[in-house]
Amino acid sequence: MAGAIEVSPAGLFLENMLFALAVAGYLAATAGYLAYLFGKKSLGSYASRLLHLAFFLHSAFLAARTVNVRRVPFVGHFEFGNLFIWACVLVYLWTERRQKEKYYAVGAFLAPLVVLYIGYLTVVPKIFTKVTISRAHTLLPPVLQSNWLKVHVSASVLGYAGFTLAFAVALMWLLKARLQEKSAFARALPEFAVLEEYMYRASVFGFLFQTVMIITGAIWADTSWGRFWGWDPKEMWSLITWFVFAVYLHARFTRGWSGLRTVALVVAGWFAMLFTWVGVAWLLSGIHSFG
Amino acid sequence: MARDFKRRQEAGGSLRRVLRFLSSMQLGIGLLLLLAAISIFASLQEQEKAVADIYRSFWFIGIMAFAALNLLLCSLRRVKPLARLALQPQKVQTVEAIKKMPFYRAVKLTPADGGGGGAEKASAALRALGYHVSVAESPEGKKIFGEKGRSGYFGSFLTHFGLLVILLGALVGSLTGFEYTGGGIAGDSFQVPGGNFTVRIDGVRMVQEPDPTVRPRVYSDVVVTRGGSQVAAGTVAINEPLRFQGNTIYHKTFRYVSEIVIKNPATGEETTKQVSEQDLLAVGSEGSYIHFLKFFPNFSMTEQGMPYSINWLPEKPVLAGILYNSAGQGERPVLLQLDKPQVIAVAAGEIELTLKDFQDAVVYTVTRNLGRPLLLAGALVLVFGLYLCFAVSPRRLYAACERDGDVIHLGGSSYRGRIGLEEDLARVAKELAQQEVEA
Ligand code: HEM
Repeated sequence: MAGAIEVSPAGLFLENMLFALAVAGYLAATAGYLAYLFGKKSLGSYASRLLHLAFFLHSAFLAARTVNVRRVPFVGHFEFGNLFIWACVLVYLWTERRQKEKYYAVGAFLAPLVVLYIGYLTVVPKIFTKVTISRAHTLLPPVLQSNWLKVHVSASVLGYAGFTLAFAVALMWLLKARLQEKSAFARALPEFAVLEEYMYRASVFGFLFQTVMIITGAIWADTSWGRFWGWDPKEMWSLITWFVFAVYLHARFTRGWSGLRTVALVVAGWFAMLFTWVGVAWLLSGIHSFG
Repeated sequence: MARDFKRRQEAGGSLRRVLRFLSSMQLGIGLLLLLAAISIFASLQEQEKAVADIYRSFWFIGIMAFAALNLLLCSLRRVKPLARLALQPQKVQTVEAIKKMPFYRAVKLTPADGGGGGAEKASAALRALGYHVSVAESPEGKKIFGEKGRSGYFGSFLTHFGLLVILLGALVGSLTGFEYTGGGIAGDSFQVPGGNFTVRIDGVRMVQEPDPTVRPRVYSDVVVTRGGSQVAAGTVAINEPLRFQGNTIYHKTFRYVSEIVIKNPATGEETTKQVSEQDLLAVGSEGSYIHFLKFFPNFSMTEQGMPYSINWLPEKPVLAGILYNSAGQGERPVLLQLDKPQVIAVAAGEIELTLKDFQDAVVYTVTRNLGRPLLLAGALVLVFGLYLCFAVSPRRLYAACERDGDVIHLGGSSYRGRIGLEEDLARVAKELAQQEVEA
């Protein structure tokens, strides 16, 4: 007895069309940023404009989805994934606007991650039958009809977006370190200190929202399930992610760690985040299996 | 005596060393990583098993307690230095000291600004940037001290304090709490032993969602009494529990309770029974029974003959079960439709069964959590602490003129080398320099 919603053919067409266009836009922007990275410096601003356009289309897709499902599109793997991707681009574009071309190189690492996430939502279910990412338009079951849903999900996508951005910068750091100063390519990437500062700020941003996500999730669990904390895998993996980033922040600030050790912690934190989102859903089971 | 004293000192020294270790951040980081590692391992187990074997084990709770102790000692050890750092800044610095600060600039003043004018302009510029400014006279000349974002010093302390309050709340909750499951149909009452009160269900309403395939919302009115007098009353629904005195009544789920009339056609004798899903009902005197499996509000069958409910609308209510003989062998399915008598042949003869009525029964989880206020307060403090940590950056800026008065030295430091101060310094310098150009 699933609660499916009747969607008009026009509404469905619009939604699917906007999604396809947004994906095409993200792919094109990724190509642009990569071309910028590999020496076509003049392409940087075009890549940025493409990303803005794709972001606009993606926003329109989310709006169409909202109309079609008659509620916020915050539920289920497909909607959450889209919101998360949207938040990643939002947070990145916000930093890019503040810093102008200084950060186009970051875009060349963030955009492929966005494509990776889209691939997870669209291509992976076609390859692995165990992964079923439904695009069905479903009504909210009563347990999810709560304002906490909006706060909790908004905080979690913003937190994940911060961690994704931090991870993108960690990858830049690793690549730069790997190539050493010999190569012109490595020299074109921002200085290590700049990268570490960016990574730190993105992590702090993610950490703040991850904290809000865990707290609002616990308060919501208390009002609907009768407990703040149930030790279920989704809860535990959010906490693990939070711990890893807490260790990173302490190590950087109070122990004065820098360089590879902090980069490794951010990479580990991103994997923990990814596992919270993807791994828990398909490899572990729990009460959160609806989203 | 001297040796005694030395030994005491050594003992104090090793005690201090132990305390230093217990309050150290290395230990904190190690414990956090350890907790993360155990949680990873535990999350790969079945959840119930993980909760029983790991999260509730004395060693896991011990590690958490150890982390809490570490955090507490670390915070306590830092209170005094922190207070001194935050509340008692050294407001007067020599020019030499200013020159050695992490951020430093020297600005040459115009004759007009010399002999005190520059100092005034510097303090005005600092005030414009939101600094609290104090000016001191010294034999060397005027000394200006500006400070901003003092609350930021307390960010990490409040964060840790919030965490400790949360852990304390969890401890209080688990030591004084209980959990109980109970329920019934309108008119029923049940006793909650842990809370020493009784819950009476006065009414149950089922509100259908616009889409009949979505599980309906159930509202129930409950009255809580203790020793005959009313303690609390209200309506309970999913996401809308009733709270009183640290206790909470949550709507857990609902089910149907059916009323069945059992008639012996031979004697005309009738009895009425209430059954819900999974109940067994004895039929006849020979040990035959029906195991009721499921209630379908809007009954239908798939092509393969599997029963299901089209939606939640009670349009064709059917109570389904299986008839077992006295040897416990399943004989055949039984489908009771509303108000349609059905005759069933059992060893003892024939029995007529009728589904007469059905009602919505509510299942509640009743808990007590006296730690809730601590948990919520701790969470607020934690978030506020993080805000202070990351959004407020404490800065201190010093300005001092040289004795002969035509150069002003600006220097400053920000807590843990945060950026922002450099820009402030540049702005003040520019303010002074602009005067110079205009003059
Ligand atoms: C378990 C033991 C822990 C210990 C011993 C510990 C210790 C410390 C110490 C010594 C500092 C530096 C304080 C200062 O300079 O004012 C610090 C900072 C901080 N701690 Fe902890 N901490 C622990 C756990 C945590 C956890 C679980 C969190 C999670 C929220 C946390 C959040 C912070 C934050 C946000 C800062 C400020 C960091 C920064 O400014 O970058 N701490 N901690």
